[in-house]
Amino acid sequence: MDRGLYVAMTGAKQIMQAQAVNNHNIANIDTVGFRADAVSFVSQPIYGAGYPTRVNAVASDAGTDFSPGVMQSTGRDLDVAVNGSGYIAVRGTDGKEAYTRAGDLRVNVDGNVTTASGLPVLSESGPLNIPPATTVTVGNDGTISVVPLGLAPDAISPSDRIKLVNPPAQTLQKGDDGLLRLKDGTTAPTDPGVSLTSGMLESSNVNAAQSLINMIELQRLYEFQVRSMNSSDQNEQTAEQLMSNNS
Amino acid sequence: MNLALWSAKTGLDAQNTQMAIIANNLANANTTGYKSQRAAFQDLMYQNIRQVGAQSTQNTQYSTGLTLGTGVRIVATETNYTQGSVTTTNGALDVAVNGRGFLQITMPDGTLAYTRDGSLTLDSQGNVVTASGYPLQPAVTVPVGTQSVTIGNDGVVTAVSASNKATQIGQIQLADFVNEQGLQPIGNNLAIESAASGTPQTGTPGANGLGTVQEGSLETSNVNTVTELVNMIECQRAYEMNSKAITTADQMLQYLTTNLS
Repeated sequence: MDRGLYVAMTGAKQIMQAQAVNNHNIANIDTVGFRADAVSFVSQPIYGAGYPTRVNAVASDAGTDFSPGVMQSTGRDLDVAVNGSGYIAVRGTDGKEAYTRAGDLRVNVDGNVTTASGLPVLSESGPLNIPPATTVTVGNDGTISVVPLGLAPDAISPSDRIKLVNPPAQTLQKGDDGLLRLKDGTTAPTDPGVSLTSGMLESSNVNAAQSLINMIELQRLYEFQVRSMNSSDQNEQTAEQLMSNNS
Repeated sequence: MNLALWSAKTGLDAQNTQMAIIANNLANANTTGYKSQRAAFQDLMYQNIRQVGAQSTQNTQYSTGLTLGTGVRIVATETNYTQGSVTTTNGALDVAVNGRGFLQITMPDGTLAYTRDGSLTLDSQGNVVTASGYPLQPAVTVPVGTQSVTIGNDGVVTAVSASNKATQIGQIQLADFVNEQGLQPIGNNLAIESAASGTPQTGTPGANGLGTVQEGSLETSNVNTVTELVNMIECQRAYEMNSKAITTADQMLQYLTTNLS
């Protein structure tokens, strides 16, 4: 039995998974604040008796691409983009603090500031809540100023401040919900150096050209694997023929 | 089930929906008081194929895991409530709301709806109604024999009779919402209150942070056609890329079936 067939099969399977990651990136080319995922392959020797001839490939996360996306001007007051590195703290559906770059914020009827998907944005002391207001503005340091409902514009007053953090990229990991969290499960401290720009949104950092090239390359690599599966098959067919001729 | 195919399919779906939103914005580029909408994209959940930190052998661990994303979805449509530009029409009953607030309209079933479209007219009984014929709330009725009607910045409606006598015949009130994004559009330039918008706070135009009303003017649509066209190009290309991704995944599977049979 030629086990090369299995080695090639593993390769093909992992490449198909890498293609899925690449397609996920392409699908999220318009997702605000999206960070592209990367895949790398790790060689995995098969241990055991015999010669160490077989090495399987195992796809593994090369992590997340943290390079900045393009800034788009929207003019909406509650659209904020993080300048340079840094993240907005939100409360994930698991109740824990998580980080995102998606700054298309909104205020719900209870006065909670949330992301587009309804996750509460956090301040230093918990979920950010503002009084009913006619105007909401976000300052550079994340301070939210409001004109309370029913009052004149000169009644503007600072309300609360969005928690902005800037943990090093290598300590962050993307969770099942697409939000970033610290790998060790702790929360990052507020970083006063992170600033926001209001009226702007950061687009996805997926590079269209690069994703297309990756796609082509993965396709061809997949074909290599299938070819070598085919060769293993032919070898066995030939062997089978020789055996039956001899008998 | 091939994940590569399905995540590209979610991309096609989302871009298709976005294109519908862009087309609706462009179609309403000349609708009085229309507020543009946009799609909010969000990445779908991730599948954890191999947990980071799992044992690769008894003594070693995988230093990285493998999580596969499953695509994208449109999580919300956001309405952009920025002020549209105000054009002068000189129509006596045309009003533009300059600032926050909505005109209140009584629907045929008696409920209230809200609009920024101030192209008001009169019906056969002299009631002030919208272009669709729905009366303003509080109702304003212009008496027979009126020569001209004036609407002040604070919403006071004054009629001048044949004998040149001015009388106040009504007061336009504006309604404001905590979360105007939460209003539910129902077509006909109208929106209704929802659980997300909060209850309306009515008041006199110009007071308490409400906008003023401007007579003889209309608020144009706030659709920026250039932005929409750029979005459209981007949407089209993203659609093409997702479609290319589906073709590629298909070709890979096809190659597999033709070569291993």
